[in-house]
Amino acid sequence: MSSTWIAEAAAVFAKDWRCELRARHAVTTLGLFAVTSLIVASLALGPVGIAPAERIAFAPVLIWLILLFSSAAGLPRVFVHEEESRTATALRLAATPSAVFVGKAAHSFSVLLAVEAVVAPLALALLQIEATRVGMLAAALVLGGFGLAVASTLLAAIVAQGRGRTTLFAALAFPVLVPLLALAVVLTRAAFGATPPEGVLMQLLLYDASVTVAGLMLFPAVWNP
Amino acid sequence: MTRPSSGPSRLQLLPWLLWLWLAAVIVAAFHYAPLASGFIGESSRILFFHVPMAWVSFVAFVAAGVWSLRYLAGRRNPRHDVAAEAAVELGLVFGVAATVTGAIWAKIMWGAYWNWDPRQTSILVALLFYAAYLALRVAVEDAPTRGRLAAAYAILGLVVAPFLYFVLPRLGFTLHPDAVINTQGKIEVEARMFHVLIASAGAFTALFFWIHSLRCRLAALAVRDDEARGIR
Repeated sequence: MSSTWIAEAAAVFAKDWRCELRARHAVTTLGLFAVTSLIVASLALGPVGIAPAERIAFAPVLIWLILLFSSAAGLPRVFVHEEESRTATALRLAATPSAVFVGKAAHSFSVLLAVEAVVAPLALALLQIEATRVGMLAAALVLGGFGLAVASTLLAAIVAQGRGRTTLFAALAFPVLVPLLALAVVLTRAAFGATPPEGVLMQLLLYDASVTVAGLMLFPAVWNP
Repeated sequence: MTRPSSGPSRLQLLPWLLWLWLAAVIVAAFHYAPLASGFIGESSRILFFHVPMAWVSFVAFVAAGVWSLRYLAGRRNPRHDVAAEAAVELGLVFGVAATVTGAIWAKIMWGAYWNWDPRQTSILVALLFYAAYLALRVAVEDAPTRGRLAAAYAILGLVVAPFLYFVLPRLGFTLHPDAVINTQGKIEVEARMFHVLIASAGAFTALFFWIHSLRCRLAALAVRDDEARGIR
């Protein structure tokens, strides 16, 4: 891994954050969508409607569904914006494909971490549940968010070159992300006191590693015409 | 110079042999194989069609991944792209047939067509994945771009598949009967049932490759026809 490659990936990451701070797209789509849907769901399912024991069972599903739909609403933009503003060609000339992939994935991951930092504590407060294993909750959010960001980056690069991008992203992403969501939900539920099946953390790590390697291998073919 | 015709060639006989083989499997499934114990009525006979169809859909999806790998790693030969697409289409047909036959059996044995059994969930997600593959192909007009993106997505399917088939079923309780060959490598079914099951799996696999070859030949003819008319 050369210093040029790292510099290219860092430049892509910094460029995306600079664009984000100018347009504030992630704040208005991912963040606001996540908070609004969490409040609406909590209103129906929270202290008003459902018993505490049942809330612990479905709160992880709610958190991860909100994160999934927030990702589908906001993350495809990392490549769609490049294609629409016709800057994709310049980016292809400026950086190697793997550096573009890593820079974009790191940007998506940091955006998701910011959204998770708001959604997770808010969900605990609104649904009145307690995380008995905080470390496990953090692991679920970080590992789940990482897999979500990496897979979404590859899929965003694919849908950016087709029609009907947002709906296509949801159709392509859901089957790929089902194992990740299932593992993240089980791990999050364990953080709220349930007993997890053996090896869930390792399986989540394995999923992240597999998707990262596949992303690095496939991205050059997706990115270069 | 064309060879003078002296009756049907061996290749022309293959489809007829396949039909005979399939007919023999159907007869054997109802008259040679015994009923399995612990199953309601004749419901165990669905095994001879449900399992081979699920197997063929698995073979088709793996084949689509391999053709996609050959497309991306090789010289981007459009024939490999067409072969991958045809394999996905047929894999979906066999996968839907396996799901429907499984649901009919579930209704008889478990009282409901759909129970969110981990194996039902796995095949449903796999079917959604390959339906999305076809949606992706429709969404991209340029043929080389379509081939490139679809191949990448199909290969991603090969990476995710082990999690669908091996990890997801471990996360929940399953009512599904054990595999024919268990984890110790021991065959769990009666010998005559095993014979029919193997014959059926072979017949359906041969049926898949025969229809696949026809589908690829049709696609090649369509390309040649378009070229002759100046469309491509």
